[in-house]
Amino acid sequence: MRWQTRSRWIAVPLTLLILVILLFPFFVMISTMLKSGRDVYTVPPMWIPTHIEWSNFVNVWTQYDLVRYFRASLIIGLGATALNTLLSVPAAYAVARLRFPGRKFAMYLLLMIEMFSPVIVIISLFKIVASLHLLDTYGALIILDALFTVAFNTWMMNGYFKTIPKDIEEAALIDGCTRVQTMTRIMLPIAVPGLVTVMIYAFIFAWNEFLFALTLISSKNKMPLTIALYNFVGQYNTQWQYLTMAAFLALIPVLVLFYLIEKRLVAGLAGGAVKG
Amino acid sequence: MAEESLSLRRRLWNPEARLAYALILPTVAFLAAFMFYPIFYVFVMSFFRTNKLSALTKFVGFGNFIDRLQDKEFWWAVLRSVIWTAIGVSTKFLLGLAIAVLLNVKYRGRKTARMAFIIPWASSVPISALLWKLVYHPDFGLLNRTLSVTGLWPKPPGWLGAPYSAFGACMWVDIWIGIPFFALVFLAGMQAIPQELYESAHMDGAGSVRSFFSITLAGLQELILISTLLSAIWTFNDFNVIYILTRAGPADTTNILITSVYMNAFVDRRFDWAAVQSVITFVILTIVSVIYARFYFRQENA
Repeated sequence: MRWQTRSRWIAVPLTLLILVILLFPFFVMISTMLKSGRDVYTVPPMWIPTHIEWSNFVNVWTQYDLVRYFRASLIIGLGATALNTLLSVPAAYAVARLRFPGRKFAMYLLLMIEMFSPVIVIISLFKIVASLHLLDTYGALIILDALFTVAFNTWMMNGYFKTIPKDIEEAALIDGCTRVQTMTRIMLPIAVPGLVTVMIYAFIFAWNEFLFALTLISSKNKMPLTIALYNFVGQYNTQWQYLTMAAFLALIPVLVLFYLIEKRLVAGLAGGAVKG
Repeated sequence: MAEESLSLRRRLWNPEARLAYALILPTVAFLAAFMFYPIFYVFVMSFFRTNKLSALTKFVGFGNFIDRLQDKEFWWAVLRSVIWTAIGVSTKFLLGLAIAVLLNVKYRGRKTARMAFIIPWASSVPISALLWKLVYHPDFGLLNRTLSVTGLWPKPPGWLGAPYSAFGACMWVDIWIGIPFFALVFLAGMQAIPQELYESAHMDGAGSVRSFFSITLAGLQELILISTLLSAIWTFNDFNVIYILTRAGPADTTNILITSVYMNAFVDRRFDWAAVQSVITFVILTIVSVIYARFYFRQENA
């Protein structure tokens, strides 16, 4: 179509221009993480380093205990993912497949909790966690990180279960499988793609979480990456080349994971009008 | 009918319902302990004076509410929240829509462009905020360097250091994170609109502007509503960006409702004030969430 060709001439340059503007911080990140200590502090700052300082990649691991922070984020992330899956998948099955009084209400509630802001309850959570003697533990973060994505994940999983034809399950029930057997042996294997989405979402949330870690973790060896990086800055002498290198390394896993679930995520958030 | 003759007990306690309750119970228990009870406790706390360690000391009824509602600083935070959310959401909406339109044009490499546009949303919010802190840096930041060298803005402000520019700078980071969501939702919606509609509109002599309004935007109606509500909630709740960039400073000029809850509690140690603001924020958010849930269900059932 003529119209298509003409609009292409406008769309492509405009797209590139907007992308350059929007991705500017990531350009800054990559440029800075390869700068030498001296280049970082030149005024005015330079866009491209005079030489590429590969040793930043090594130093950030050896001098800044990055391993420890990665390990903390990983423990919290995996723990939260496990707990979240154990809670949200069975609940989603119940909401999607079983008839019980209160089902409608449960679904309504789920959708509302999805929007809930942790900040509102942070003062009570602080007290509750303290009274359970869970301040400054991974356990507190695992529970809370898992919990604040339970609603959304139950919701997404419910949507996924619903796409599986009922006949499959009914056939199994007639063949003498119990409900629990159909659930674990028939539904779960089919629902693996949905399951993966839910697990990835839970992991990303925990990996990026900031508020709970900021409020509930105080000792250095339990700090996740987000807090460790936040503490990097703020000291008057920020070594930006290391901060950006660490930021880059911390971002890679979440970016990869996000791309795997991005379509389903949008569909889950926006509802039926968008297909996952 | 048989269904009506079932006793209430049978309806609540048949094997299927029993299994359902068993499956839901763990989730409900955790939510009750770490979400519903905390909400309840915030309400309780808002009626008491607290000490610096957050212990309840004295029942004061609505005293805390009256205190807060008479405090100018509270109303400033409310006003900032309103401006923050209104400008934030509308800018995200417009830029997201524009990007969706651009991505809906067919050319080679648009899949890659789509991937690239997602990055600000896919990125971790705390890390993005830290990167922006460097970008905005008055001495080493490349933003001001770029602006002044290209002549776009010869004397740019110090961004995070001064009141108005700090608010704008924080708002931009929040907007920047929120644009891709709108772009993706709108793009998906646009691709679901049948091409024939445009063709027949073209035959009828409708120009592309006309088509855009009466076909594209009309087709996106439901999505526009839902995504705007969602974005409004997220924007209103954005604690991380402000806390990391400015810690609600300088001189509280970037303190919106959601950050003031935290600052009241953990900086000023006024847990009672924080509780009051939590309650107020909770009520506002609940109203918006109910609207969102309603529209979501209406659309699902349509």
